[in-house]
Amino acid sequence: MTEGLHQDRAGCGLKALRSLLPVLVILALIALVPLFSPSNRFLSLAISAGINVIALYGLSVLFGQTGILSMGHAALVGVGAYAAAILARDFGVGFWAALPAAALASAAFAMIVGIPSLRVGGHHFVIMTFAFGQLLAIVLTNGGDYTGAATGLDLAGPVTLFGADMSDLTRYYLMVVAFVTTAAVASWAIINSSYGRTLRAIRENEKLAASLGINVGRHKIGAFVVSGIFAGISGVLLAYFLGHISPSQFSSFPSIYLALMVMIGGARLIEGPLAGGILVAFLPEVLNLDPVQSRIVYGVCLIAVIMLLPDGLIGGVVRALRAALSGKPKPETQQRNATPSEARR
Amino acid sequence: MSPILAINGLSKQFGGVTALAGVDLAIEEGEILGVVGPNGSGKTTLFNVVTGVHRPSGGTVLFRGQDITGLKPHAISRAGIGYTFQQAMAFAGLGVLENVRIAGEHVGTDSTANPWPTPQALLDFVGLSAVANEKAGVLPFGSLRLLGLALALATRPSLLLLDEPAAGLNDRETTALVGLVRQLPGHGISVCVIDHDMKLMQMLCRRLAVLDFGSKISDGPTEAVLADPKVLEVYLGGDL
Amino acid sequence: MDIFIQQILNGLSIASVITLIAIGVTLIFGLTGIINFAHGEFLMIGGIVTWLAVSAGLGFPLAVVLAILAVGLMGYILERGLFRFTLERPTNGFIVSLGLIVVLQHVVVLFWNPNQKSIPRPLTTVWEVGGVRIASVRVMVIAITIAVVALSFRMITASRYGRALRASVEDRDTAALMGIPVRRYITGVFVLGSALAGLGGALLIALFPITPFTGGTMVMKGFAVALIGGLGNIYGAVAAGLILGIVEGFSAGYGFSQWTDAYSFALMILVLIVRPHGLFGGTSGPRMAS
Repeated sequence: MTEGLHQDRAGCGLKALRSLLPVLVILALIALVPLFSPSNRFLSLAISAGINVIALYGLSVLFGQTGILSMGHAALVGVGAYAAAILARDFGVGFWAALPAAALASAAFAMIVGIPSLRVGGHHFVIMTFAFGQLLAIVLTNGGDYTGAATGLDLAGPVTLFGADMSDLTRYYLMVVAFVTTAAVASWAIINSSYGRTLRAIRENEKLAASLGINVGRHKIGAFVVSGIFAGISGVLLAYFLGHISPSQFSSFPSIYLALMVMIGGARLIEGPLAGGILVAFLPEVLNLDPVQSRIVYGVCLIAVIMLLPDGLIGGVVRALRAALSGKPKPETQQRNATPSEARR
Repeated sequence: MSPILAINGLSKQFGGVTALAGVDLAIEEGEILGVVGPNGSGKTTLFNVVTGVHRPSGGTVLFRGQDITGLKPHAISRAGIGYTFQQAMAFAGLGVLENVRIAGEHVGTDSTANPWPTPQALLDFVGLSAVANEKAGVLPFGSLRLLGLALALATRPSLLLLDEPAAGLNDRETTALVGLVRQLPGHGISVCVIDHDMKLMQMLCRRLAVLDFGSKISDGPTEAVLADPKVLEVYLGGDL
Repeated sequence: MDIFIQQILNGLSIASVITLIAIGVTLIFGLTGIINFAHGEFLMIGGIVTWLAVSAGLGFPLAVVLAILAVGLMGYILERGLFRFTLERPTNGFIVSLGLIVVLQHVVVLFWNPNQKSIPRPLTTVWEVGGVRIASVRVMVIAITIAVVALSFRMITASRYGRALRASVEDRDTAALMGIPVRRYITGVFVLGSALAGLGGALLIALFPITPFTGGTMVMKGFAVALIGGLGNIYGAVAAGLILGIVEGFSAGYGFSQWTDAYSFALMILVLIVRPHGLFGGTSGPRMAS
């Protein structure tokens, strides 16, 4: 019996490891890009995309695993960014020390956003997360000199690693790739742990989860805290990259964009956030669209993905590939949040 | 021997409606007790109050001598009381094996020897090994009920509460379920079945308690209870 | 005191527009369970149509009618083309509406640039009553809203269709069993809600300049009002709209105008924590048929 258990565990571990591999290979390839002397524009875009991807991995824990749709995620990124800027200004705290502090601040704010989820459910809560995002933007705008009001704050600290200046675009790029890799591995570890299973149980059926000894409320807030940590780190990277932050970057619309990115990529898969962040950043570039056109394409893509590919783009591609390889389409076996209803009518 | 679960004067009001009017009930170690009663008699309210879904208006629930009155549902489970719902429920979007694995990961007490040390062993017991890698959502209804039972057993309960466990099952599936539940006392698990299906109760239980309008009107050996005039009156022309 | 009354009047005129949104979102949610966040963009497009019509030399009343018709038609097309397919999965409807926000905003930017748009005030008279200056245009906005809301109430409470509609909001499946053509009512409610948003947009641009991004804040406030009143509860929406108008008027009158936007959101969060189904009780949306 025990032997069987071990075999099963090992088999599971191997299978889980295989799911991480594609992401690691892609990230390794991405890390090699500087060898081909890319343009500064490419690097800047890639850095922005990478910073988004880190936040998206946090959002995927909350939405993909736990099933809680938050429309206030950009606000959590904002808390991290403002924490970094204020710490640098008032206390001379540098990049590396700001990381844990900002992660903590974002996690604390995430906890506050998450607490009402114990009482307020479903759609009401989604709208509430929006309101939290808008409120934060209003507070930042009315914060006077402390938050720099509507114009925001400047942050001009150097980022050094082992004595090397990382502010150079290529180095910052490599550093962001390293952070994205860490985020992906952390997210993978969560998905494949008993903690991840607990969160999925809550996503599938809260009542049943509670009957099996799962403290649903505590784990829901825990998922918010985890998503806040990712968001806080993303915020610090963003603040040091841009050198200037302002409230409008973190209001509810940027939150909508983050939610849309994770859904386009697929919130439940380890590849999803990476794919969503990269696609949204680079598709307009590839198709040579101006910002306005690209937003329109973006919205249309999202609607198409939701109506046609319930698992997100990557999930859809994977399923299509599998169907093509096995020669017969695998029927959609479960009803998901994002199942087009037409198929069942 | 003291009972594994002692319910004393348990009452519950919803607004002005009395759903439970001071129920006393004891579940003995190693027995399969049946709680019966017509619709609206308070069976499900009793289940919900004991499992922590509702807070009682009065009375106490002692589990192995410890007061568990008003604990949250997850704490009840961790204390060692497993329960299944009227609506067969599993995590539809997750695999069958993953379902059972999750259920075994939040065990509060593991003082007793575990008859089913692995998720696979539990699936063997309920006869679902063949579908271990399927999504729970694709299982037929009868299998879903069995999976629900496996989930509750995975929490390592010493008392199992079953709310209408055979609802929606055909005769063959019901017989299979009865066969499984009967084995539980042998594994150190006491059982309380809540149902109005007398046929099922006669198959499963040596002792019955009857609820009507939120009060217990009869309690004793199955044959004696079925012959009780008060019970006959409640069920007159009904299921008997 | 005179300043105070003026501010209350200002607050109520904006609250009128928000109430028009709130009625639309609350009706649509009640019947379909869909949170249509793009409703603010419907409002914005109502304003843009009014602006286009007035710029083309049409009178304001005609422009209002055009805005109502255009946005009503848009609601019809979107319900038939998109939202109809998300009825079984309201969360999908919500996400689709987020995609629509992005598309509608930027389509407007693409054709008519992102700048502010305004029309000359349709009524310029300012009455002086006992030292209080009352802008007739604000009175017009409030009066039109009261008339439309009263008309909607009458339709909903007194007519056969209204009773069927309320029955459908209460319990979609039972209503369908009773022979009420619920699908058609859903389309109807989408068109009605959209038309109200079109009217709201026309009234809004009569008060303020608008941009393609005006919808975002307005819909947030619309939902705040709908949730405070109880989602799915039309009476609640009107009452909460009134409360918000007075609160915002007060805050502007007493010099906290930079926090005006915060009140509706903070109030909504507080109300929901204390009463998850709103002050006046709402529905949880239609029970999903299995």
